[in-house]
Amino acid sequence: MSFSFDHLIQGFATALSLQNILWALIGCFIGTLVGVLPGIGPASGIAILLPLTTVLPPTSAIIMMAAIYYGAMYGGSTTAIVVNIPGEASSVPTAIDGYEMAKQGKAGPALAICAISSFVAGTLGLIGLTFFAPLLADVAVVFGPPEYFALMFMALTLIISLSGRALLKGVISMALGLLTAMIGQDPLTGAARLTFGFPKLLAGVDFISVIVGLFAISEVMVNVESRITAISQKIGSWMPSWADIKQCIGPMLRSTGVGFFLGLLPGVTPSVTTFVAYDLEKRVSKTPERFGHGAIEGVAAPEGANNATSTAGFVPLFSFGIPTAPSMAVLLGGLMMYGLQPGPMLFKTNPEFVWAVIASMYIGNVMLIVLNLPLVGMWARICVIPFYILGPLIVFFSVLGTYSIRFLAYDVWVMTLFGVIGYFMRKFAYPIAPMVLATVIAQMMEMSLGQSMLMSQGSIFILFTRPISGAFMALAIASIIRGIWLQMRTHAPEVALEEVD
Amino acid sequence: MKTIRQADIVIGCFLAVLGLFILYAASNIRLGVERALSPRFFPSAMGILIFVCGAGLAVKSWRFKGEDPKIHWPDRQGLIIVLVSLGLLAAYILFMKTLGLPVSTFLYVTASIWFLKPEKWIAAIVTGVLVGIISYAVFIRLLDLSFPVGSLLEGLLEGLEK
Repeated sequence: MSFSFDHLIQGFATALSLQNILWALIGCFIGTLVGVLPGIGPASGIAILLPLTTVLPPTSAIIMMAAIYYGAMYGGSTTAIVVNIPGEASSVPTAIDGYEMAKQGKAGPALAICAISSFVAGTLGLIGLTFFAPLLADVAVVFGPPEYFALMFMALTLIISLSGRALLKGVISMALGLLTAMIGQDPLTGAARLTFGFPKLLAGVDFISVIVGLFAISEVMVNVESRITAISQKIGSWMPSWADIKQCIGPMLRSTGVGFFLGLLPGVTPSVTTFVAYDLEKRVSKTPERFGHGAIEGVAAPEGANNATSTAGFVPLFSFGIPTAPSMAVLLGGLMMYGLQPGPMLFKTNPEFVWAVIASMYIGNVMLIVLNLPLVGMWARICVIPFYILGPLIVFFSVLGTYSIRFLAYDVWVMTLFGVIGYFMRKFAYPIAPMVLATVIAQMMEMSLGQSMLMSQGSIFILFTRPISGAFMALAIASIIRGIWLQMRTHAPEVALEEVD
Repeated sequence: MKTIRQADIVIGCFLAVLGLFILYAASNIRLGVERALSPRFFPSAMGILIFVCGAGLAVKSWRFKGEDPKIHWPDRQGLIIVLVSLGLLAAYILFMKTLGLPVSTFLYVTASIWFLKPEKWIAAIVTGVLVGIISYAVFIRLLDLSFPVGSLLEGLLEGLEK
């Protein structure tokens, strides 16, 4: 199934219904808020709200969830620029020049150029998504269980190998994530697995409790212990000059290319592409010495890459059903909650759904620029809400979100436990992303491996003898070997990169 | 455990033991009907992986002789704040069923803000009341989600209706 304008127009017709516009608008607003507020990122934001959206039809719910995701990408830079607190690792390069601009009284133009760059990159990325996703879905139609298992295995190995110098810790994090998802009843036989005689554990561990605990609760714990305070900056005039915008056109386009194409690969998250885009701009600039001292291109480039990467993440999600980052894993979980199996068949079996979501993203992008440009001052003021109020509110929403999964206090206890685990993982420099991704895709991996073994009458070699799965397995093994080689070469302690949400 | 190296040695050993324990637990999983992929396969594989990586981490850190990053532990006051915050969260979960979502939310939010910033007690009460009302009006009444209302609030609402 290749791209068709009819499907896209039908998608626009669905997305432009009053109900869906409203949910997209609410999603954009909540997303920007999630991005602006320190202590809560898109993955935990979506995870908290996911169970609460069960009252909505699937299309509206996913439109809203997607809007929260790309809305958070818009809002993420605000704290970085105004108070020099990058809410996510991907906002670190934005903070370098953005905060310098804020100190020079140019916080307004910096925030505005962020919104414009995000809009340009987001829209161009969406055009890429519109054409690439159905093309890749065409390729993925020939995928059987061995190809899916190999692809998921490759995605996990790439994510582990990209978690900084912490290869062993990445593998441990992934293994613990897979184990967590296996607690409870075996989906095929109903046999109790890893319940250690506790009947309550038969209910299993829901991935939302894990994600909310790992991201939201542990973040609150880290923030309350350090008693963070916000320093407010004067916003001043909020519009950038035409000269500023003209100066940023090149960086916006280059960063979109970098962000989108790198973002198609599993594990290449915005925290990677924003640094690549920032570095690229510094290299091509005629005045690289301005970078680090308030260069507006240094703000436009990482923001463009950030949004292009997050849009690119939808390509493997829709066409293969493979999440490339924790937020995508939560969205995948959301799709599964609604009985929708992302992957090539999604374009065939539910074209009205997938195209409505894609079309809504175009609309959401316009909403975001309208919402962000005039409201820059308001968002900047929101990000200085003191943490002694914000912290308890984040916990309240986390409890609300996890309790509403199955209306069991057990899920909230699980969330608390994973909050504590996440806190120690941050302290001991363990990467969180492999655990989150493994928790979400564990059952799919086990099922596809089981089906592959059934096809081959118990031989694991089926993964290597089929050309596509063989290629994925080869890439996965190459990424493992590369990781081991890097480990042996760098005699440094295992420390994960800053986590991306 | 003041440094990453020390933590890696201790946790590596702990993980190696955990891996063996998981391997033992996996060997006790009932097999049931014969399948191409045994329900024991993934838990066993993960047990082995955790054992190998845990032991590897401990050995690698033991032999490491370079600059060792410090772990940023909280100071005494920070530790108290974290522990009390966790205690308040545990109380919130424990009493949610008995007191209901709105009342327990009011108590949790008020107590947390008051604890984190004692001089802002008015803000604590106002925020607590507002969030408690929102939790009832939006999530219980409007969205009709099955959160516990609590006998206290139920009695109060019945009394008001009469």
